[in-house]
Amino acid sequence: MRFALRATAAIAYGVLLLAPLAVIVYSVSPGAALEVPPSGVSFRWYVGLADQPRLISGLFTSLTLGMIATGTALVTGIPAALALTRGSLPGREVFLAILLSPLSLPGLVLGLGVLTSAAVLANVTGIQTAGTLLPLAAAHLLITIPWVVRSVAASLESADPALEDQARSLGAGPFATLFLVTLPSARAGIVAGAVSAFVISFGNFALSLLLASGRTVTLPVAIYETVDRYQDPTVAAVSTLTMVAAVGAALLTDRISRPLRTRDSSTSGRRESPAGLEPAR
Amino acid sequence: MEWSGRRVAGLLLLPALLVVAVVAAAPIGLLFRVALYPPGPVAPLAGGPELDSLAGLLSAPYPSVALRTLRLSVLTTVLATVLGFPVALVLSRSRGLSRRIQTLLIVSPLLMSVVVRAYGWMLILGRQGFVGETLAALSLPRVGLLHTEIAVLLALTESFLPFMILALTASLDRINPDLLAAARGLGASAARTFLAVVVPLSLPGFVAGASFVLVGSLSAYAVPALLGGSSARTFVMEIYELVTISFDWPTAAAASLVLLLFASALLGGAALLSRRRSARTFGA
Repeated sequence: MRFALRATAAIAYGVLLLAPLAVIVYSVSPGAALEVPPSGVSFRWYVGLADQPRLISGLFTSLTLGMIATGTALVTGIPAALALTRGSLPGREVFLAILLSPLSLPGLVLGLGVLTSAAVLANVTGIQTAGTLLPLAAAHLLITIPWVVRSVAASLESADPALEDQARSLGAGPFATLFLVTLPSARAGIVAGAVSAFVISFGNFALSLLLASGRTVTLPVAIYETVDRYQDPTVAAVSTLTMVAAVGAALLTDRISRPLRTRDSSTSGRRESPAGLEPAR
Repeated sequence: MEWSGRRVAGLLLLPALLVVAVVAAAPIGLLFRVALYPPGPVAPLAGGPELDSLAGLLSAPYPSVALRTLRLSVLTTVLATVLGFPVALVLSRSRGLSRRIQTLLIVSPLLMSVVVRAYGWMLILGRQGFVGETLAALSLPRVGLLHTEIAVLLALTESFLPFMILALTASLDRINPDLLAAARGLGASAARTFLAVVVPLSLPGFVAGASFVLVGSLSAYAVPALLGGSSARTFVMEIYELVTISFDWPTAAAASLVLLLFASALLGGAALLSRRRSARTFGA
């Protein structure tokens, strides 16, 4: 029984890690053809990245889009998390469900809706958004807000509200309390929310596919178009770079938010679960 | 000005709610309207409202494609549960550094774009890929699994396994250890304790995880498009081609709505199920 359990768990880890490993191994392949066993290690495909304008342009588009989405998601998501945790709102659960609902919308369907809306907007008002980042940025904002709201709300909920009461009774105004006590106490959640938002936006594919064209093609869409047609380790190289960056960012976040997590170890497993998975409590 | 005031709270919620209204609710509402136009290329978008676009989904190839999509999603959910449960069990019993490392390994695939992971599977499963080359190096016949339903199933399972593991772990973490001790103390064997206590108590996590995996794999595009291609067409692939190749937006919108309503029904059913279950647990 115990052995079967461990063996299945090992297979599961294999399934999870095989695909990223394959990309990493292929990215240092000496030739364009995949070899087993590899005949050597070469970084020429990393150097060759500079000659792939579509991938480079996609990388910059995705970085820009990720920063726009993260910034706007923080600006809209943090106040919403404050209202949900500190405000005495009727129907709090309903508002939370509405804000988390974009997580369960099929990306391609949402992309089609936004594309159609942009077309209608152009017809009715003459405002052309096709070819600009606006539809993509709006769509990415929508799917990153849930991550910020959940993460910041969880942090605010585990912070001690007595601290805020003490600040107020010592004469701090509502704004001073907010910026000097409340938000700093939710620091871990804000950082985690920002990193998740950026990673989600940077990696998004289904939603971006119909909205990206020409200069606004994102990196995942550019990768998709490249791998769909021919084998090229350059794609593996750029993919490996983004993997390393993402895992690095996650480790860094983990480190920053560690003091807060260790305080309530009973919930540490729950806090790490991605948004939208657990039923709202 | 107090943060707890109802008006202030409403004001703080407003921007985020507006985003959902403008970028999600309005576009989906618009899809409802587009679906009521007669099917055909986008240019006219006139006539109707009628249900011809929706009715067109009842004819080939949509029913068989929908069935294949559903089959793949159900199998993905089954595989994710079978593979995920042992991982969740080990994870929920671990503490400290070991738990952090396991969590990182489980979550790290989620940090990569789904396209990158699908690409990894292409490299593994293709005739000229790792499996094919290994077989060739061993002078065995090359087998290419790329562009089969097995490839899609494998990559979909990998895509959604982390969510299933985390959902199950959340449930397992909530099991009161005293219950297990009590079951053992009352004479139940380890296997009996597992089947009669651990498995039923992990059901809420299973329901949450399964509904997420089902809806996610029904909506997936990158994995079936890259690993299945034309030999394993799914519903979302049809929607994409309706938009980009046949320019039949009314039918695409109608198909989108069918998918959306089906997904909402699944998620709603799961929410109801877990609510009733938790009500029973607390009532007992």
